[in-house]
Amino acid sequence: MNEKRGNGKYLTAFLLALFALGLFLFTLFTGLS
Amino acid sequence: MSDAAHAHGHDDHGHHAHPTGIMRWLTTTNHKDIGSMYLWFALIMLFAAGSMALLIRAELFQPGMQLTHPDFFNQLTTMHGLIMIFGVIMPAFSGFANWQVPLMLGAPDMAFPRMNNWAFWILPVAGLLLMASFFLPGGAVAGGWTMYPPLFIQGGMSYDLTILAVHIMGLSSIMGSINIITTILNMRAPGLTLMKMPLFVWTWLITAYLLIATMPVLAGAVTMLLTDRNFGTHFFNAAGGGDPVMFQHIFWFFAHPEVYILILPAFGIVSQIIPTFARKPLFGYASMVYATASIAILSFIVWAHHMFTVGMPAAAQLFFMFSTMLIAVPTGVKVFNWVATMWKGSMTFETPMLFAIAFVCLFTIGGFSGLVLAIAPVDIQLHDTYYVVAHFHYVLVSGALFSIFAGIYYWLPKWCGHMYDETLGKWHFWLSVIGMNIVFFPMHFLGLAGMPRRIPDYALQFTEFNQIATVGAFIFGFSQLIFLWVVLKAIRGGEKATTKVWEGAEGLEWTVPSPAPYHTFETAPVIR
Repeated sequence: MNEKRGNGKYLTAFLLALFALGLFLFTLFTGLS
Repeated sequence: MSDAAHAHGHDDHGHHAHPTGIMRWLTTTNHKDIGSMYLWFALIMLFAAGSMALLIRAELFQPGMQLTHPDFFNQLTTMHGLIMIFGVIMPAFSGFANWQVPLMLGAPDMAFPRMNNWAFWILPVAGLLLMASFFLPGGAVAGGWTMYPPLFIQGGMSYDLTILAVHIMGLSSIMGSINIITTILNMRAPGLTLMKMPLFVWTWLITAYLLIATMPVLAGAVTMLLTDRNFGTHFFNAAGGGDPVMFQHIFWFFAHPEVYILILPAFGIVSQIIPTFARKPLFGYASMVYATASIAILSFIVWAHHMFTVGMPAAAQLFFMFSTMLIAVPTGVKVFNWVATMWKGSMTFETPMLFAIAFVCLFTIGGFSGLVLAIAPVDIQLHDTYYVVAHFHYVLVSGALFSIFAGIYYWLPKWCGHMYDETLGKWHFWLSVIGMNIVFFPMHFLGLAGMPRRIPDYALQFTEFNQIATVGAFIFGFSQLIFLWVVLKAIRGGEKATTKVWEGAEGLEWTVPSPAPYHTFETAPVIR
């Protein structure tokens, strides 16, 4: 089981980072509107 | 045995020749090292921002101007707020998360140890930028921690430095949150399901989601401030067709969840400590998890209660008033559960428990004054008065800061392997709790009587309560030196801590020796 810890961590981190970036850009577009 | 083989394998690659001295700390990817650095950083910043608070209180000891220039006074209040929030409370909780989350989950480290190192080391850079801005022409930022335009568009170079510092601290928080969420979702020991996790881990999971959902919004807001200041845009400049009120909406959409970012991990710490010293399992574990999630979700729909005096339709006032009051329900569930955990428990009152009990009592006072402020017509009277200052200091000092003290006393024996000095710990507790109430309780009366906040001078009738508050501030401030001494003393030596440390302690972190070895859980523990 040990080596299974951490499976999928890159996908989780990528999705979270994508969400953060999207929210940042969304905030800027809110300002433009 | 597998540990030894593992270590040997690493030696072959030459990775485990640990650097020493400063390079150890600069290059470390170990969650315990990074946790310790976060906590030391927070402590240093606590003394920096605390000194500013004492200067503020010294100035306010008497009406009239004594020690500071009014502009410098505004710089002190602004920087005190910014540093206490971004440089003390948040890094301290990140320190706890780094130390405790992998230990509580049976994970060998955080999911992304190198990103963890980077997330920490950009933080002192931001702290230095903020502190250095005092020495720029015109001094540090003086427009309030809320960074409202037009003041924040008009200020000098220190405003750009502060925007950069906020960007850096936000980036650090986002990286830290991604790391924490990924660690919790992907690194748990086999058998440790989400609903078996310690409550501290749950509160940090929810906090990390809040951070990811709000920090980019703050980054967007300060980016717009930056372009308004330097690149000719007019997002918030009414003269160019912009709207300064839009900044307030965007800012508080970040900043109200931020308030819960500052308190949810505190709930987690207290929820670990009370069962230990009441020697009973936490009452209503599942309801605690759902209450935490409810508070987090509600925090996104209450932001405009900070803006009742700005002006909005009556329907909006009603919505934000009632949604704010709704938060009292899950918070009440939590307070009830802590009390029910203590009910008929075999309680002992070591320093962590004393701070935890003080947290429950005093945070509740702060919560109730929050309910008062949630009432729109009342808030119009109390907005920007000392009542607000009293409210958020009850929440953040006797709430967030006391939980940090509680957590440090609780886990310090596990971290450094020695028991702290209980007598000095109790001195620290009693002086802090008495001092804190002497500072902040009279501020309720000052606010009700109409004393405005962020003002270096005041009318004569406010003198007595201000003098009492200042005396309390110095008692509270200087009693923190006892805390520093207790921590240093425990690190240097003292009674050896056992593996379990506390009789009633439960959880994976209490199964590793004290002090916790540099590497833990390289082989995953199996939970039931």
